[in-house]
Amino acid sequence: MTDTTLVAEHPLLERFPEGVTPDERKGYEGFIVAADRLVEFATALRDEFGYDYLSSVTGVDYLPDGKMEVVYHAYKSTGGGALVFKVQVPRENPVVPSLVSVYPGADFQEREAWDLLGIRFEGHPNLKRILMWEGFAGHPLRKDWKEAYFEEEKKPFGSRWPGGAVHRAEDENPFGKNVVYPPDFDPEKWTPVGDEALYAGLREFKKDDDLKTEQVVVNLGPQHPSTHGVFRMVVTLDGETVVRLEPVMGYLHRNHEKIGERNTYLMNIPFTDRLDYLSSMSNNWGYVQAVEKLLGDKIQVPERAEYLRVIMAEFTRIVNHIFAIGTLLNDLGAYFTPMLYALEERELILDIFEAVSGSRMMCNYFRFGGVARDLPPGVYEKMRDLVFERLPRKIDELDRYLTENEVVRARCEGVGVLTPEEAIAFSAAGPVLRASGVPYDVRRADPYGIYDRFEFDVAVRYHGDVYDRYLIRLDEIRQSIRILQQALDQLPEGDVIFGSPKYSMRVPAGEAYGRVEGPKGELGFYVVSDGSANPWRYHVRAPSFINLTALSRMCEGDKVADAIIILGSIDIVLGETDR
Amino acid sequence: MGDPFALISQWFTNLLLGWGLSESAATVIRLLVGAVILATISMLTVVVLIWVERKLAGRLQDRPGPNRAGKFGLLQPIADMIKIFTKEIVTPAQADKTIFHLAPVVFIASVLLMWVVIPFTATVMGANLNVAVLYVVAVGAFGVVAVLMAGWSSNNKFALLGAFRAVAQMVSYEVPMVLALMVPVLLARSMGLTDIVNAQSVWFIVAAPIAAVIFLITSMAEVGRAPFDLLEAESEIVAGYHTEYSGMEFGMFYVAEFLHVWTIGALLGTLFLGGWRGPGAETYPLLGILYFYIKTFIGYFIVTWIRLSLPRIRIDQMLAFNWKFLTPLILVVLIFTAILDKVLEVYAVSGWGHALSMLALNVVIGWATVQALKKVEKSRQRRRPEFPPRPVAVAPKSE
Repeated sequence: MTDTTLVAEHPLLERFPEGVTPDERKGYEGFIVAADRLVEFATALRDEFGYDYLSSVTGVDYLPDGKMEVVYHAYKSTGGGALVFKVQVPRENPVVPSLVSVYPGADFQEREAWDLLGIRFEGHPNLKRILMWEGFAGHPLRKDWKEAYFEEEKKPFGSRWPGGAVHRAEDENPFGKNVVYPPDFDPEKWTPVGDEALYAGLREFKKDDDLKTEQVVVNLGPQHPSTHGVFRMVVTLDGETVVRLEPVMGYLHRNHEKIGERNTYLMNIPFTDRLDYLSSMSNNWGYVQAVEKLLGDKIQVPERAEYLRVIMAEFTRIVNHIFAIGTLLNDLGAYFTPMLYALEERELILDIFEAVSGSRMMCNYFRFGGVARDLPPGVYEKMRDLVFERLPRKIDELDRYLTENEVVRARCEGVGVLTPEEAIAFSAAGPVLRASGVPYDVRRADPYGIYDRFEFDVAVRYHGDVYDRYLIRLDEIRQSIRILQQALDQLPEGDVIFGSPKYSMRVPAGEAYGRVEGPKGELGFYVVSDGSANPWRYHVRAPSFINLTALSRMCEGDKVADAIIILGSIDIVLGETDR
Repeated sequence: MGDPFALISQWFTNLLLGWGLSESAATVIRLLVGAVILATISMLTVVVLIWVERKLAGRLQDRPGPNRAGKFGLLQPIADMIKIFTKEIVTPAQADKTIFHLAPVVFIASVLLMWVVIPFTATVMGANLNVAVLYVVAVGAFGVVAVLMAGWSSNNKFALLGAFRAVAQMVSYEVPMVLALMVPVLLARSMGLTDIVNAQSVWFIVAAPIAAVIFLITSMAEVGRAPFDLLEAESEIVAGYHTEYSGMEFGMFYVAEFLHVWTIGALLGTLFLGGWRGPGAETYPLLGILYFYIKTFIGYFIVTWIRLSLPRIRIDQMLAFNWKFLTPLILVVLIFTAILDKVLEVYAVSGWGHALSMLALNVVIGWATVQALKKVEKSRQRRRPEFPPRPVAVAPKSE
């Protein structure tokens, strides 16, 4: 629901008669901005036109045109569709001015674009690799970059095709010969330069008072019980107080996007399950929505499938939030008891997922134009029982046990505060944004599916601390239950998929940005099609990743124990952060 | 005479004398054997405790707990022991080796030494010290040294942070703990644990409930059990001071911690719940041991229950709780207990009359504390900014 039709007479074109032109390629939308006008354009966009929320920054390598394109999606924090603007630069020397000064939330995303595509952002305060290490040669998302065991440009690979003799590229290229280092890089002599710079930078911090103390740099992670995976926080401590915190990630990086560009469109659906592996149903939806936008009129989702999608996505939200509350309490030191109480409910919902999709975690349930299967017999009754009887009771129970607990309140209240202005500027999404008093929910702000038919409130809290981020998850679970009750009551009969299931898809050329309100925040998929069977560009706007931009702001000045729960309250999953 | 322990001891001494040993040598050997038996029984208790704790944790967390090794998982501790004995003991390269390897020994010794003075029955105890309460506190504080040794020598930042915390925590909680211990001492007019038990014709929990609760809280902090487990807060500083320990050296910390909790139960039982006292305990000392164990388990269960129910508090909150709440409160209790005790002595009130007057005093102090807390709670501004509401973001209707 973007302003595609209005692009030609958009007031922005009047404001910038030069340097801004509508993007007139077929299937594309938005504006193309000249690189030298970008900062001015973005400032005007934020201050004069109200597009204060920068959702996604990514790059696309248009190899045949010799161009590198940076794509920005900006939204109004008061709701509405996206404003897309792009910067095109030559491939040989891609330099784009950085937007971190306008939108601080662009920080990590620009680093990612530099890391994976080699686009240099001029004026970025800390432009270094974020997902790869320094000993990595090249920028893998460039179309001419080939990985170590490169076989073919596109899947399905001929060698793996039934009937052909299967041979593996790994067998021809023994391990050890497959590694390429950048020029002037010697792994034998390498000391983590990045780390040294990190530590040196951290040591510069001085205190004002007279007490002579020594500051310690502590690595929380990558092997640490409370970083929810292999995430690392380099923390400078003054006694117990965090002076500075620097998140380091990428330990689980597998270049999801490059693999996704090799895959056919259909192959990517199960692949999105692996992003945020706690909420695979929502991930499916984001991707399917982007591709369905590209397909346009060629596909219509049947009513029953729309309802099933809502039901599964809301169940996923409950699963995720209940898990997030459990792990937050673990981070608080509650020794697994709340966690296990929460997990019991999660298991019951996973039973339903297993019944409909065959898998408890990697559900792979959505398809283009519907869902994979209808409900097996008995599942509907089970869902009704859960939604109308058990879950409301159990959520109240959790609420009763935890919310008024004095230790929980003492630990969480006033800790890790993020103001609404900061939350918007840092592109925080989901519960983190809403706990800071910004009632922004994609389901309302830019409705997709059939969410406009349901009655529910956008949960919002006004303190912006860890306690509110805990409470908002309880609120959202309650709202999800409300939606589920309506959806189950209204669930119509009929087909669950448009036409017959297809293995291969012809997707018209163009671009699309599909976004859903995932449990962790706005989950966006930016897909560019060149008309072939595989996406030309497949980008994930990962809420776990972008929400971390605000982490150091939230932690500074708090205790080390607070840093742990602040991270817990953001609720990240490393599968999605590192991709 | 129904005291089998005295008989055995007598028989053993006579046996040694019969072998031609001198009186003093026989005493030394008898005491040595006694010490070994005491230490062994304490350690074996831990084996049972591990099972009890795991089973309790299981039930409190809505799951069965260990149920594979043996009936009801009873052999689980054995399996745990085999595992931990066969694991390699790794020493960090840059560690201070002597101190590193000494720390677990000191730690476990500090706990075991407490058992010297605890009376199992009227006659069975390691030593009837007349300053037993002082001794318990002193020996318990010894554990702090071990924690600091472990944290410092490991050459690990997490361990060091844990040691910092341990010192701050244990040293400050010692103050209200000692003051809380003064209350039963005052009531019994002796520092000897046997005298304290003998003085409890009415259990001191009736006369001094606030002191009992404060003793329980402070000793939980002393052991480092949740919600005071900051020195080994696994979600923050990995495992705190014992991060670098592995194999049986870690096992020693683990065992010592379990035993320490059990010791708290024993102390709570002895000081406030009448120790071995109970119907028939004076005639049948075996019954006394049973009562003693039951009372010890009560304390142990409470500590475990709290551990499994509450999240951990933060270091600054913990110190504030100690210095701003526990210490003033116990000081008030101690002073008023002393005054009332003197008054009652003048009027020659004893037994239940004495206990109930004390209880009334405690109720009054408790009520006043709650009122004061409520007042503070109301006046205290929680440090929470509140942001102005915004309109809900909705899609514009016109399109």
